[in-house]
Amino acid sequence: MSVSKEVNAAPVKRHMGLRASRAMANTGIYILLVVISIVWLIPFFCILLQSFRVESTWQVGYVIPQKWGLDNYRNLFNTDFPKWYLNTFIAALVTAALQTIIVLCMSYTLSRFRFKMRKPLMRFMLILGMFPGMLTMIILFRVLKDLGMVQANAVPGLILVYIASSGMGYYVSKGFFDTLPKSLDEAARVDGATRFQVLKKIILPLSKPIVIYTVLTAFMGPWGDYVFAQYISFGTSSGMNVAVGLYNWLNQDQIAKCYTMFCAGGVLVAIPVTVLFMCLQKYYVEGVTGGAVKG
Amino acid sequence: MASVKLTDVKKVYDNKVTAVHDFNLDIKDKEFVVFVGPSGCGKSTTLRMIAGLEDISGGTVEIDGVVVNDLQPKDRGIAMVFQNYALYPHMTVYDNIAFSLRLQKVPEDQIYEKVTNAANILGITEYLTRKPRALSGGQRQRVAIGRAMVRNSKVFLMDEPLSNLDAKLRNQMRAEIILLRQKLDTTFIYVTHDQTEAMTLGDRIVIMRDGFIEQVGSPTEVFERPRNVFVAEFIGAPKMNLMETKLIKEGDQYFVTPFGAKIEVTGRKAEELRAKGISGQSILLGVRPEHIVLTEGPSIGAIPCKLEVNEMMGSELHLHVYTEDETRLIVRVPTIDLTSEARKRLVYGTQLFITFEGKVMHFFNKENNLNLLYA
Amino acid sequence: MKTYSDLEFLKLSKGQKILYKFQRFFAAIPTGLKNLFLGIGRGLKGLGAKVGEEAKDIITTFVHGDWKTKLSYLVMGFGNLARGQILRGLLFLLFEVVFIGYMVLYGAYWLGMLPSLGKVGPTKSYNEIYDVYVTQYNDNSFKILLYGVLTIFFIIAFIYTWRVNVKQNKLAEKILASGKKLRSGREDLRSMVDDQFHKTLLALPMTGILIFTVMPIVFMVLVAFTNYDGTHDGYYNNLFTWVGMDNFNTMLSWTSGTGSGTQSYAATFGEVLSWTLIWAFFATFTNYFLGMFVAMAINKKGINLKKLWRTILVLTIAIPQFISLLYVGKMFAKNGIVNGFLMSMGWIDKALPFWEDATWARITVIIINIWIGIPYLMLITTGILMNIPADLYESARIDGANAWQQYSKITLPYMLFVTGPYLLTSFTGNMNNFNVIYLLTGGAPTNAAASSAAGSVGYTDLLITWLFKITTGAESKYYLASVVGILVFVVVALISLVVYNVLPSIKNEEDFQ
Repeated sequence: MSVSKEVNAAPVKRHMGLRASRAMANTGIYILLVVISIVWLIPFFCILLQSFRVESTWQVGYVIPQKWGLDNYRNLFNTDFPKWYLNTFIAALVTAALQTIIVLCMSYTLSRFRFKMRKPLMRFMLILGMFPGMLTMIILFRVLKDLGMVQANAVPGLILVYIASSGMGYYVSKGFFDTLPKSLDEAARVDGATRFQVLKKIILPLSKPIVIYTVLTAFMGPWGDYVFAQYISFGTSSGMNVAVGLYNWLNQDQIAKCYTMFCAGGVLVAIPVTVLFMCLQKYYVEGVTGGAVKG
Repeated sequence: MASVKLTDVKKVYDNKVTAVHDFNLDIKDKEFVVFVGPSGCGKSTTLRMIAGLEDISGGTVEIDGVVVNDLQPKDRGIAMVFQNYALYPHMTVYDNIAFSLRLQKVPEDQIYEKVTNAANILGITEYLTRKPRALSGGQRQRVAIGRAMVRNSKVFLMDEPLSNLDAKLRNQMRAEIILLRQKLDTTFIYVTHDQTEAMTLGDRIVIMRDGFIEQVGSPTEVFERPRNVFVAEFIGAPKMNLMETKLIKEGDQYFVTPFGAKIEVTGRKAEELRAKGISGQSILLGVRPEHIVLTEGPSIGAIPCKLEVNEMMGSELHLHVYTEDETRLIVRVPTIDLTSEARKRLVYGTQLFITFEGKVMHFFNKENNLNLLYA
Repeated sequence: MKTYSDLEFLKLSKGQKILYKFQRFFAAIPTGLKNLFLGIGRGLKGLGAKVGEEAKDIITTFVHGDWKTKLSYLVMGFGNLARGQILRGLLFLLFEVVFIGYMVLYGAYWLGMLPSLGKVGPTKSYNEIYDVYVTQYNDNSFKILLYGVLTIFFIIAFIYTWRVNVKQNKLAEKILASGKKLRSGREDLRSMVDDQFHKTLLALPMTGILIFTVMPIVFMVLVAFTNYDGTHDGYYNNLFTWVGMDNFNTMLSWTSGTGSGTQSYAATFGEVLSWTLIWAFFATFTNYFLGMFVAMAINKKGINLKKLWRTILVLTIAIPQFISLLYVGKMFAKNGIVNGFLMSMGWIDKALPFWEDATWARITVIIINIWIGIPYLMLITTGILMNIPADLYESARIDGANAWQQYSKITLPYMLFVTGPYLLTSFTGNMNNFNVIYLLTGGAPTNAAASSAAGSVGYTDLLITWLFKITTGAESKYYLASVVGILVFVVVALISLVVYNVLPSIKNEEDFQ
C-alpha cells in the first residue's frame, strides 16, 4: 500500500507544482499589465485633469487641480480654436471620402488586372515613396499660392495635398483584395458582368472591412497632420488646423498663457476621433494586421 | 448547343513560358469532352482560353463557327463551373443563380421560374434563401451548377468541379453530372486530373502533358490503344506495368522475353504485329496489373519475383512485387481467387511466379516511347 | 570565400554556422550591387533596343501604310476619322491642336528660358512724378523651372500619343484587311467600363501622383542644382540659376570654417545621419520586441480581460499623435510633471535634463517612442501570433522544448519571417519619422558646433526634421534642403535594396505557407 502511495504521490506533487508555477507566472503578467495600463493611461488622465485646472494657466509640477472649472473650455471659444477645429473637420471629412475612392481604385486595379505596365508601375511607386514627401511642399506651396489655396484659404489646398498622392498608399487594401478569390471575378464575368459591374456588385459588397479601414485612416490623418498644414497655413491663424494651432500654443512665448487651454483643446480633439476609432476598432485591427503581413 | 473548334491555340505567358502548344481540336455539338492530365499540363489554361478568362497568344477559338478570340467571356455564350465553386458569398443561393439573368435584365417572374426550376432539378429548393456559407460542399457544387444552368449557354465548361469534394460525394456528383448531361443536352468541356472521372464522363478524352496533346479518343480507345507510354500509364489504375525486354520474331510468331521468361504474343496483337511487319527489337512491354496472374513456377512462361507489399483493397489484392533485377511490378488479384490460406502466405519476401497472356500486351518503342502498333 | 555544400554545412558547429551565414550575407552584397548595375545596364540596353525597334516600326508602318495612315503622321487622328472612328480621331486631333497651340504660345518661351532660368531680374526705376523707386518684376525663375519641366512632360506625352496614333493606324489597317470591323466610338466608351476598365480606374489616381508627386520631385531634384533660396527666390529679389554640382560639393565637403558654429557640412550631415540610423534601429526593434512581448503576455492562456488590456493600449493609437506627443514632451520638461513628481517625492533635488542634455534627450525620445509604438506593434503581432499553427507548439512540446525554446525556435523565426518586409518599411519609416521627433523635441538640444546657415541643427534632429528646419529657417536654403532630400532617398534606397535582396520572406516565399 505504502509503496503505491508514494508512486502516486510524486506525479500529484509535480502536477501541483506545475499549476502553482503557472499561477505565479500569471500573477506576474497581471502585475505587468496593470503597470503598463497605468503608464499608458497616465498622460491622458493628466491632460484631462489639467484641462479643468483654473488656478493657473502654465505648467506646474502637480496633477490634481487645486481649483476646478470649465474656464479653459470657455476660453477656447475666444480664440481661433473653433475655426481650426472646423478646418480640420472639413479637411478630414472630404479627405476620407475622396482618398477612399482613390485608394480603392488603385488597389483594386493593381490586385485584379494584369496589364503590361502593372509591375513597372508598382516598382515606380515604391521608388517614388523613398523620396521624403516633405520636399515637395516647397514647390506645392508656391503653386497652391498662385492658385489662391494657402493661408486663410488653406483648407482646399490641404485637401488637395492630402488626396492627390493617396494612390501611393494602396498596399493594405491591395493585400485585402488579393485575398478575395479571383474566381469570383471570373464567375461574374462569365455570368455576363462587365468589369465595372464586377466591382460594383461583387467586390465592393465584400470589401466592407477594408472600406471602413480606409475611411477611418483617411479621416484620422488630417487630425494628426502637422507638416503639410504648417506649410500651407503659413502662419495665418484662420487657415490652421488643430495640430498647427495647438502646437503654437506651446511655444516659449505662449505656453505660460495657453498650457491649460492646450489641454482642453486636446481633449476636445481627442474625444470624437477616439470614439469613432473605438467603434471601428475591429476593422482597424484587421487592416493593420493584414497590411503588415503582406508588407 | 454548339460546336467548338480550336485551331493552333497557343498560350505563352509573359515570362516566355509556353503553357499550351498548338492545340487543335474539333468538338462536335452536344459532345462531352474531357481534358485530362497531370497538374500543370495546360488543360485548365486551355479551358480558360475557351472561356475568355485567359488571353489567347496564338491560333483561333471558334464557338459555333464564330471566332471568339476577342470577345469578352460574357459574349461567348458559355457557362462555367469553377473548382472552388466561386459562389458570391454575400448573395443568397437564389441571388447567386439569378445573378446572370438579372444582368441580362430578364423580368423577375421569369427569373423566379428559371431559378426554381433549376433548383428543383438539382434538389436545392430548400436552400434557396441561404447564403453559400451555410451549405455543405456538395450543395455548393449544385448551386454552382445551377448558376451555370440558367444561362442557357451553348457550351458548358467545368474546371475540376469535383476535386474539392470527398471521395464518396465525388462518386455521387459524378453520377449526377451524367444525369445532368442527359437533361441539358448541350456541349460539355470538362477538365480534371482524375482519369476515373475522365473515363466515366467523357465521350472523348483529351490527354495532355506539358502543353501538348498526347492522345484524343474515346475512353475505350485510349484505354486499349494508348498512343504512348505516358497515356498507357496515365489511364487505368493501378498504372500499367512496364518492363524492358525484347520482342523476338521467330518465323510468323512473336515472343517477348521479360526477365528470362518467354511468352508468345497471341490473338489480335500478334495479327497486328504481323500486319505491320514489325521486326524483332528491344521494347518497353506494357501489361496492366489486372492482366497479370499468379502461376505455379518455375516454368518457361513464369517470371520469378518476390512480394514486397500486399494491399488488401476488399474485392481485390494489389500485390507489389519486385523481380530479380529490382523492377517493381503490380499485380491485381481478385480476392475471391485465393483461399484464405493462400492469402495468409502472401507476406513480405514470399517467392511468387507471375505470368500474363499474349493478347494483353502493349509494345512501346524504347527510344521515343511510342506504341509500336497505334502511334 | 569557401562555400559549403548542404551536408558540409550541417557538420559545422553552431558558431561556425552563424559565422558562415554572416559571411554569406556580406559576400552577397557586392554581387547584389554588381547585379543591380548589370541590371540597370541591361535595362538601358533593352531600352535602346526598344527605341530602335519603335523607330523601325514607325518607318515600316509609313512605308507600307495607305494614304490615310501616311497623312496621320502629320494630322493625328486622321486615319481614325477617315476609317469612321470619329471619337478617337477627334480626341487625337484635339490633342495635337492643343499641343501645337501651347507650344507656340507658351511652351517655346519656357523651354527657351530653361537653360538660363531667366535673364532679367527685378529692376528698379526712378519714378519722377512720385519721387520713388519703383521695382519692376521681370523674369520668374521659379515659373521658368516649373513650366519648363511641365513643358518637357507635355512633349513626352505628345510623342507617346503620336506613337499610339501611328500604332492604331497600323492596327486598323490590319483589322480591316482581315475583314473585321473596327470598334465604334460607342464600343470604345463601353470598353472603358469593361476590358479597359483598369485605365479608367487608374486615370484619376495616376494624374494625382503625376502632378503632386512626380512633378514636384523632378522639380526638387533640379533645385538641388540651382541656388534657389530665400535671397534668390527667382522673382521678387533675385533670380536663381544653375550652379551645377556646387551644392553637393558644399554638403559633402569637410572643410570647416573657424570658430564656433562653423562645423563643416559633411560633419554635420554625418552626425545627423548616424543619429538617424541609430534612432531608426532602436525605434524599430525596441518597439518590435516589446510589442511582441506585450502581445504574448495578453494572449497567454489563463489571462482574463484580454479585451480590456488591448483597448487600454489601443487608446494611444486613437488619440491624434500631436496631442499625445506634445503633451508627453511637456511632461518631461524642466518644470514638467515628471520632474515635479520626482522632486516632490524627494528622489532628486534638481530637475533631470530630459531635453537639455544630448544623451538624455536621445534616450528619452526612444523611450517615449516605445510608449507610442507598442500598442501598434501589439495589434500587428497579436494577429500574426494567432496565425502560427498550434500544432507547431504541440509538436515542440512533445519534443521537449521549454517556453523559452518555443519562443526562440518557433515564435521568433516565424514572426521575423512573416514581418520581414514590415520591419524594413518600419525602419525606413522611422528614419523619416518627423512627427515623433519634431513634436517631442523640435530637434533640441541645439548643436552649437553646427553651422547656423544649415538651420539650427539639434542633437535629436533626424535628416527629415533637419530638412524641414532648413526650408523654414531664416535663410530658406531650398537648394540645401533638396540636397538633403536626395541624400535621404539614396540612403533609404540603398538600405531597402540590400535588405530586400537578403530577406528570406522575399526569396523563399513559400517556406512558411
